[in-house]
Amino acid sequence: MTGADRDRRRWFLRNILPHEPALRRWLSRNVLPDIDPDDVIQEAYTILAELETVETIHYPRAYLFQVARSVVMRHVRRARIVPIHAVDYLEQLEHPDDAASPEQQAIDRDELRQLAHAIAAMPLKTREAFVLRRVKGMPQREIAVRMRISENTVETHISRGILFLIDWFGRGGNKRSQTSKSTEPEVGSINGRTRNQSRH
Amino acid sequence: MAARETSRDIDRAASDWTARLDRGPLTPEAEEAFQAWLRGDPRRKGALLRAQALATMSESAQALGSGFDPAVFEEPKRSRLGPLSRRQALTWTGAAAAAASLAAVGVGMPAAGAVISTEQGEIRLVPLEDGSTVHLNTASSVRVRYDKGERLVTLLKGEAYFSVARDDRRPFVVEVNGCRLRTAQAGFRVRKLDRSPVDVLVNQGQVDVAERTRQASVNVAALGANTRLVLSHPPNQGSAAEHPHPIAPEAVDRELAWREGKLAFEGETLGQAADAFARYSRTRIQIGDPDLAREPVTGLFAANDPIGFSRAVARVFDARLEEDGEKLVLTRRPTPRKMNFF
Repeated sequence: MTGADRDRRRWFLRNILPHEPALRRWLSRNVLPDIDPDDVIQEAYTILAELETVETIHYPRAYLFQVARSVVMRHVRRARIVPIHAVDYLEQLEHPDDAASPEQQAIDRDELRQLAHAIAAMPLKTREAFVLRRVKGMPQREIAVRMRISENTVETHISRGILFLIDWFGRGGNKRSQTSKSTEPEVGSINGRTRNQSRH
Repeated sequence: MAARETSRDIDRAASDWTARLDRGPLTPEAEEAFQAWLRGDPRRKGALLRAQALATMSESAQALGSGFDPAVFEEPKRSRLGPLSRRQALTWTGAAAAAASLAAVGVGMPAAGAVISTEQGEIRLVPLEDGSTVHLNTASSVRVRYDKGERLVTLLKGEAYFSVARDDRRPFVVEVNGCRLRTAQAGFRVRKLDRSPVDVLVNQGQVDVAERTRQASVNVAALGANTRLVLSHPPNQGSAAEHPHPIAPEAVDRELAWREGKLAFEGETLGQAADAFARYSRTRIQIGDPDLAREPVTGLFAANDPIGFSRAVARVFDARLEEDGEKLVLTRRPTPRKMNFF
């Protein structure tokens, strides 16, 4: 775990993650059948993770939308069959919304409270392990002794705790995958296969 | 070929790897598996970045203090009934037991009245002989004088929360700045700080407020649950300021969070929050520029941990924190704000 990794994560937390809900909404607005906003978001984050430096990014939100757009474009180009309404969709993508996001401020300032609420909502054992690790800074090994469970189980609890936070912060609590479920028609799988084939 | 992994599957695997890395260094085989996993799909590295970023962020939970009790933050539907009310009962018993051990210290009730005080940064729960309790906040003191007619407590300075055991024949009276707050049974907070008017907050039961004049005492208000009254100062003039106003139950909880050793903010300015911390320790939080001092703060913090608070603030507002002995100085980073997208 290098210092640079850590800096990238902090940058990401502050400048990117707060825009995730807005990006997801934007991607979902005119979704293409074979494009799941959550796939696009992960892939866009990969691009951000691989950047040499983020210092030159002055407008992280705009940059994030632009990167997401490039991911969508790449998928559309690869797809053998481009649905007609994809054209409209791409038009939309030409104009990433640039309204200031009210979430930015809300998330920043509310972060600790949100975090406390998120931790409180975790399943009890997971919560116990997570609090020991994160609030009290106890190593996983000691948590295992304290809770009388195996180290592997502790690791599982920590993993679940993190997944919980992904849902909580990225997808707005229980609203997870509503977007993809409600907007992804049955043909999704067929198109998905098309995309996979075209990838090679 | 197996079905394409969903983004959810990837998030799960990313969380697993994050937890694995958090446990300790990877073995060479695990490292290899990890790298192979990262290469296997263009979404994975991004998912890992998000999972690790959130894991990093959760470290700021330390700012909640070691006394952080997640149960306090549970959604009401879980906390109203069932196991949690038992837990709350336990917490209370624990506090009462702690208080019982304190009881030996100085509540002998001599005729002149026993004075109970706290030092700066100290919070005490003291049981009184009738089963009522008084919770003293930092740097506070009260004098207790019970007789056959009434249970009289005088707030000399600071802040106290009274939980009054019912006794219809012997009212409980808190005297503060010439006002008498009288009840048969209630839970209420009274605050008397330098340079601020007396502030009364009732969270259960009813409290009658009277002003004592030379002739008699005159009732000014009856406060029910979840009401607040700021007493004009000096009393007896312009009772216009003395209208009680209702206050939301959540706001009451925040106002009383100090009883758990915490400070709760919801949109108070950073300047106000710094003042709130100043009551609890000699450490002072100084805010370098007025803009920053006006930023709203939200969150629950350990009252005795101004450093943890300042670090959290520095991170949230992208401010610079300098620690200089008992002085914590927060300043904006030199980067002009317009460089931000907003």
